[in-house]
Amino acid sequence: MVTCGPLSAAQFSAARLHSGEVVSSGFEPLDRLIPAGGVRRGSLLEWLGDGEASGAMAVACAVACRLSGSLNDEGATAAPTVVVVDRQGRFYPPAVMGWLANVASSVSKEPQLVVARASSADDEAWAIDQALRCRGVAAVLACPQSIQPTTMRRWQLAARGSQAVGLFVRPQAAGGQQASRRQPTWAEARIAVSPLPGESLAVRRLRLTLVGGPWAGEASVEGRAVEIGIDLSRGCGLSRGGQPHGHEAGGIRMFRPHAVPAAEAVACRAS
Amino acid sequence: MPRIMTIWLPRWPVQRRLLEKPRLRRVPVFVCRRERRGLMTVVAWAWAAPPRGNHESGPGQKRSNPVAKIPEGMSLTEGMAVLALAHGSRACHIAEVDHDDPQADRMALEELARYCRRFAPIVALEDVDRPECLHVDVSGTAGFFGGEGALARMAVWTLASRGIHARAAIADTPAAAWAAVHHTDLLHRAPACTAGRSPLPRHWRWAVVAKGESFEALAGLPAAALRLGDDVLAQLRDVGIDSIGGIARLPRKSLASRFDPRLSLRIAQLTGERAEPLAPPRSDELPTASHAFDMPILLRDTTADDLVSLVERLVGECVAPLAGRGRGVLALQVRLERSQGADPRAACMATANIAPLVIDVGLFQPSTNVKHLADLVRLRMERMRMPSEIEGVAVDVVAIGETACRQQTLFESLPGEAAASPSAHELGMLFDRLSGRLGRGAVCAPQLVADAQPEHAWAPTAPVARPAARPAARRAAPRMAAPKAPGWVACERRPLWMLPRPVLVEAVSVAPDGPPSRFRHGSEIHEIAKAHGPERIETAWWRGPTVRRDYYVVETKTGARYWLFRRLRGGEWFLHGMFG
Repeated sequence: MVTCGPLSAAQFSAARLHSGEVVSSGFEPLDRLIPAGGVRRGSLLEWLGDGEASGAMAVACAVACRLSGSLNDEGATAAPTVVVVDRQGRFYPPAVMGWLANVASSVSKEPQLVVARASSADDEAWAIDQALRCRGVAAVLACPQSIQPTTMRRWQLAARGSQAVGLFVRPQAAGGQQASRRQPTWAEARIAVSPLPGESLAVRRLRLTLVGGPWAGEASVEGRAVEIGIDLSRGCGLSRGGQPHGHEAGGIRMFRPHAVPAAEAVACRAS
Repeated sequence: MPRIMTIWLPRWPVQRRLLEKPRLRRVPVFVCRRERRGLMTVVAWAWAAPPRGNHESGPGQKRSNPVAKIPEGMSLTEGMAVLALAHGSRACHIAEVDHDDPQADRMALEELARYCRRFAPIVALEDVDRPECLHVDVSGTAGFFGGEGALARMAVWTLASRGIHARAAIADTPAAAWAAVHHTDLLHRAPACTAGRSPLPRHWRWAVVAKGESFEALAGLPAAALRLGDDVLAQLRDVGIDSIGGIARLPRKSLASRFDPRLSLRIAQLTGERAEPLAPPRSDELPTASHAFDMPILLRDTTADDLVSLVERLVGECVAPLAGRGRGVLALQVRLERSQGADPRAACMATANIAPLVIDVGLFQPSTNVKHLADLVRLRMERMRMPSEIEGVAVDVVAIGETACRQQTLFESLPGEAAASPSAHELGMLFDRLSGRLGRGAVCAPQLVADAQPEHAWAPTAPVARPAARPAARRAAPRMAAPKAPGWVACERRPLWMLPRPVLVEAVSVAPDGPPSRFRHGSEIHEIAKAHGPERIETAWWRGPTVRRDYYVVETKTGARYWLFRRLRGGEWFLHGMFG
């Protein structure tokens, strides 16, 4: 139960983290970027990326693996299954199974990866909806090319009932110049992912920019951006010792980018 | 005159294991029996996907190496030696050896017999210790499928769609059909029968022996086709008889006095003078329910909900006796009996297919939830072309399993258990629903395979609704390194997206045999800032041409990561994956 008192935004987020309703994404900067202070169970998150090598899928997979190992209020593994709805038939599970094995070493149940291959857009939407309705699912990962607002609202309600988290990786510029950004969303947060040059093979650096989602009016968060580093060998955030640039890698920098006009912000608040 | 269709499932003990573990299709599989003094003898063996030759035998076709011949009863050591001679020592290293389990083989065959009720109501196993054949009484039912040839072909391909290799033959008696199905490749020369040919040349899988002509059609088959023992066959060889035709030329009255009485019995069974009753397996008869309408009903006049509610009632009748025994449904069949004559398409076509429409529903875990089962039927019906009118609906339970019953707690339960049980139940229902609409093969839980070739580094397995609990000893050490499964590779070296086929790209490398400095994919040119590698993979010579690649993880100046490889034979560059 979330209690609302005279708390600051940070305290409010911390309180929700403690209550178990909001769980950490595994990346401290990302937790601070998301308005809820982490990944809220029963919500949707959108990741926008340019192309299939942008890193959006990598960070979504890492968050999904993290969710499969998160604990409920009773200290047990809440839902150890991650469902990937793969319409293109390109998802390569060996890249993720090591991450799940890493999560498995610290939880009571073996996390399970389930891949559902859909052959059409209708089947894909249906499979996402069904998976989000299941209480045994920790996260549903999918890459729908286009999402109707009504469909997304249905997914949101389905996720709210089951406490599963929907993670949708979408092309940033599909259907026009950054068309995905302009569409209204029912997601908790819409995050644009752009890759940054990395230092080594095992470290992937990404810039995450919050470009949409119901911001709840807690603070002016539009246009917030952070940089994260993914340890690709374990599928989690870098430890403090692993950050070559110290505080800079995890810091939040506030700015108002020109790519997010005010009209777009209004559209994003439709939900 | 009755007509019998015999379905032969060659090397059934191996086929059963391949059905249970599809990953075994890539390796040689031996099913062995332990004899005295620990000697292992081969009961059956097969290699579903043996290596192919490197040379082309024709346009678009690769010639297969001859598969090693390892007869039943050979010791495992000798069998391995034969395998090594035919396919190299690597084949022995990857071979899978399993112990013989005749009871499990028979139970699986009985389940398949229930599945084959779609062709006719009476299906029986052959009456031997280790059956490999099913006898189906198709008297009067072949017309529903467009004729006997069409029925035999449908039986073969229906089973093939489930991953089962089968042959089928139709004749007057079980003995004649048994003889025909074991020699379909020889039967096409006989004038009194028509044999079907699969798309593979020189590979015959079904045959139909004309009514009343069994002896003439089967005359050219070897005497062993009469299911005779080695001693009787030796007696026949001593007098120069090696075929059924040769036996037919002997005076029938002298057979009993000159040879073993079993020969007379088999001849009488072949001609039908001696009945060979079919006994469907009744040891654990599974429930069925059906409903026949007073008159055919048009489906366009009824809603899907009406039909589903009828199916739900029938499923409920089937489930009720099972639930009382702690059993649940694992697979069921719903048959919509088409009406004869009223179908406008049937009126146009003389050989119209008026066979019942069969809806197969399979579950990942046993269920007694009638609504869930009816919902799965509805999902399948939505994806099928329904007949215009039907005159009845029947529900057959094909497979059952033990349901996991546990006592419910009224108020509180142990920490962690209360939430796990319903979620596991829902998870099982989710898998059933997903596989019901997307297809059973479309839902899988990946499993790592110890194979260096990236395309074969994982295999799909059936997902489980109740993930295994980890031992407390391992939970106590959360910081310990993750266990490395067979086939485990460093995750940073494998992409999240892998192309089904590597795409040829134009790449430029500064140093010969060095990493690329830029490559073009489509119309886009990517300047490479960093390249990690090479990771050399040379493997899979037993699958055909050896795979010889140098893989690089390249990072462009914008930070995007791709997975490229250079083929060592030829030096071309290919894009194989993207790092999400």
